[in-house]
Amino acid sequence: MGAEGRALARDPQPKPGRFGGKSLYTIAIYVILIVAVFISLLPFGYVVSTSFKSTMSLFSYPPDWLPENPTLDNYRNLLNRYPFWRWLFNSFVVAGSVTAIKLVVDSMAGYAFAKMRFPGRDALFLVVLMSLMVPFAALLIPTFIIIRELGMLNTYWGLILPGLASPIGVFMMRQFIESLPSDLENAARLDGCSEFQIYRRVILPLIKPGLVVLGVFTFMTQWTSYLWPLVVVTKPEMATLTVGVRSLTSTFTQDWGLNSAAAILSMLPTILVFIFLQRYFIAGSIAGALKE
Amino acid sequence: MGRVEFVGVGKQYGDSGAGAVQDVNLTVEDGEFLVLLGPSGCGKSTLLKMVAGLEDVTSGEIYIDDRLVNYVKPGDRNVAMVFQSYALYPHMTVRENIGFPLKMHKLPKAEIDRRVTEAAEILGLRDLLDRRPEQLSGGQRQRVALGRSIVREPAVFLMDEPLSNLDAQLRVQTREEILKLHARLGTTTIYVTHDQIEAMTMGHRIVVMRSGVVQQVGKPQFVYDHPANTFVAAFLGNPRVNLQTGAIRLEADIARFEQGEVSFALGPALSAFARSAGDGAEVALGVRPEDISVEHAGSRKHEHDALVKLPATITLVEPVGSDLYVRATTGTMEWMARTEARLPVRTGDEVTLMIDLTHAHLFGEDGMNLEGAAG
Repeated sequence: MGAEGRALARDPQPKPGRFGGKSLYTIAIYVILIVAVFISLLPFGYVVSTSFKSTMSLFSYPPDWLPENPTLDNYRNLLNRYPFWRWLFNSFVVAGSVTAIKLVVDSMAGYAFAKMRFPGRDALFLVVLMSLMVPFAALLIPTFIIIRELGMLNTYWGLILPGLASPIGVFMMRQFIESLPSDLENAARLDGCSEFQIYRRVILPLIKPGLVVLGVFTFMTQWTSYLWPLVVVTKPEMATLTVGVRSLTSTFTQDWGLNSAAAILSMLPTILVFIFLQRYFIAGSIAGALKE
Repeated sequence: MGRVEFVGVGKQYGDSGAGAVQDVNLTVEDGEFLVLLGPSGCGKSTLLKMVAGLEDVTSGEIYIDDRLVNYVKPGDRNVAMVFQSYALYPHMTVRENIGFPLKMHKLPKAEIDRRVTEAAEILGLRDLLDRRPEQLSGGQRQRVALGRSIVREPAVFLMDEPLSNLDAQLRVQTREEILKLHARLGTTTIYVTHDQIEAMTMGHRIVVMRSGVVQQVGKPQFVYDHPANTFVAAFLGNPRVNLQTGAIRLEADIARFEQGEVSFALGPALSAFARSAGDGAEVALGVRPEDISVEHAGSRKHEHDALVKLPATITLVEPVGSDLYVRATTGTMEWMARTEARLPVRTGDEVTLMIDLTHAHLFGEDGMNLEGAAG
C-alpha cells in the first residue's frame, strides 16, 4: 500500500450516510425482529410467570403478567407428590440412547450408501427413502403389536427401538458423506486403513457438524415425543416426561400452576443440551482454523 | 525394488461398451520415472488407480516386483499415491497426516516420529508440522502429500496429476523438487499428466495414451522426433504439428507431395517412405512449426535439398516473447511457423515459407507413421 492508500485508511472523517438509507433499513430490521422475538417469547414468559403463581391468583381478572406474591409451591408440589425425577430420568435414558445409537447406525449406513459399491445399493436406498413417506400414525398399531409380541411393553427397549428406525438420519448422513471427496477415502485405503478405519478415522471426524445437527434434531424429537410413549407405557414409573406431565391433568381438574412448573422444568434440560451442542457445533466447524 | 509389470491389462465399466483401458502391456523398471500422458478421459488415471488397487482390473494381470497384485488390498501393495487434490486429511495436523500411514501399519511411535521428522526435513516442512492443511499454501500442501507418500518408503510412487492445481511458477518449482526427490530416493515412479512439458521434462520414458489404448512408449525426445501416428504427433509439441493431407506422386528418383495446386518434392529420406505407400496414396505430411521459417531480407537459412520453398500469405502473427508464431496460407494449405521473435512481418504480407523436411513425417491413411511401416 502506498502513502496515498495509508492516508486514506487513516482518514478520520465519518462515513457519509451514517443515518442515511442503509442505517435506517438496519434499524427497521431490528425493530421488526425485536417485535417478533417479543411475540414469540410472550407465551413462554406467561408460562414462567404462571408457574410462580398461587392457585388463588391464577384466576384473577384481568390476568397479572407478573405474580403478585411469587411462590415456589407449584415446584414443591410437583417434586414431592409426583415421580417427576423418574420421568426426567426416563426421558433422558430414551432420548439419549436413541440419539447415541442413531448417530452410530445412521452414519455407518450413510457411509455405506454414499461410498461403498454393492449390488442393489440404489434400490435399497430407494426403499429407505420410500419409508420416509409413511406417516408414523399408520405404523403405530403394527409397531405396537411387534413390540408387544417381543414382550417389550413398559420397557426402555420398547421406547427406544422404534425411534431408531427413522430413515431421515440415514438420508442426511448419506448426503453429508457423499459431499466428501473420494480421494480422501482412497488415500486412507492406500495408507492401509480397513473400511471401518476409514469410517472411524477419516469420515467420522469430518462429518462432526452433521452429527451434531442430527444429534440435536433426534434428541429434541425424542424428548418431545408423546404418542409412542403414551401407547407403549402403562406403568407410571416408566412414563417419560411428556406422558408424565400430561398425567398431571385429570379428567375434571387442571392445575395450571403445576402444569406450568412441570413445563418449565422439562424444558430446562433441552435448553441446556442445545446450548452445549451449539457451542460444540461452532467449535467443530472452525476447529481446522485454529492452531492447537 | 519396484518393478511394475502390466500384462494385457484392461478395464471395462459395466457389461458392454468400450473399455476405459485396453490391453496394456508394459514394464516399468526399478527406479524408472515413467510418465503416462494423454488427454483427459484417455484412461491414464484409471491405469494408475489399477496399480494402486483403487480400481478393479477387469482383464490381465499387474505385477509389482513379480508379485501378482490384482487381488491385493491397496494398503498391502507397498505403493504410495499422490493425488491431484492432495487428499490431505483436513482434521489432522501436517505431522499426523504424514505419520498416518505409519500409524495404520502399526509402527512404534518413536519410529514414526523419526521418519516424519526426516521426511519433513527433506521437504522443508519442519516449521509447519503442527499446522492443519487449510493453513498451508497449495505448494506446501503438495509437499505434505509427497511427505505422506515417502515416509512409507514404498516400492512405487504413483502420482496423479500432482501439479495441476498449482500456478505456473510453483509448478515449475515443484516439478524440480519432485525430480530431485526421485534422484535422491530412486523410487520407481509412475506419473500421470496431460501436460506435455511435464512429460517431456520429467519422464525417463513416456507412454502416450488415447481412448484407453497405448499409442506409443519411448524416451521423450524419441517420441517427439518419431511419433508413431498423427495423434502422438499432434499431442506433443506447441504449437501443434502441421498436418497436411495430400497425395503421393512417384517420379523416377523422388516422390512429390501434392495437394490441390500445390506440389513439392519430398527429399530422399521421405521419398523412400512415400515409395512404400505407393503412387497416388493418400497421406498426411507432418511438419513441426519450428521447422518452418519465414524468408525475409535478414534470414540466414542455408539451402539444402530437404528445404521446400512456398509462397504464402500471412494470416496471423502471434508474438509470445521468445518466439513468433506465424500462420500463413498457400493455396488450400494452412501452415503454422514458429520463427524468431521480432521478425518484421505483419498480417497480409506476401512471404516465402522455408519448410525443412529433415524431421518431417509421412502418415498413412490409417494415421500410422510410414517410417514405422518401412522400418
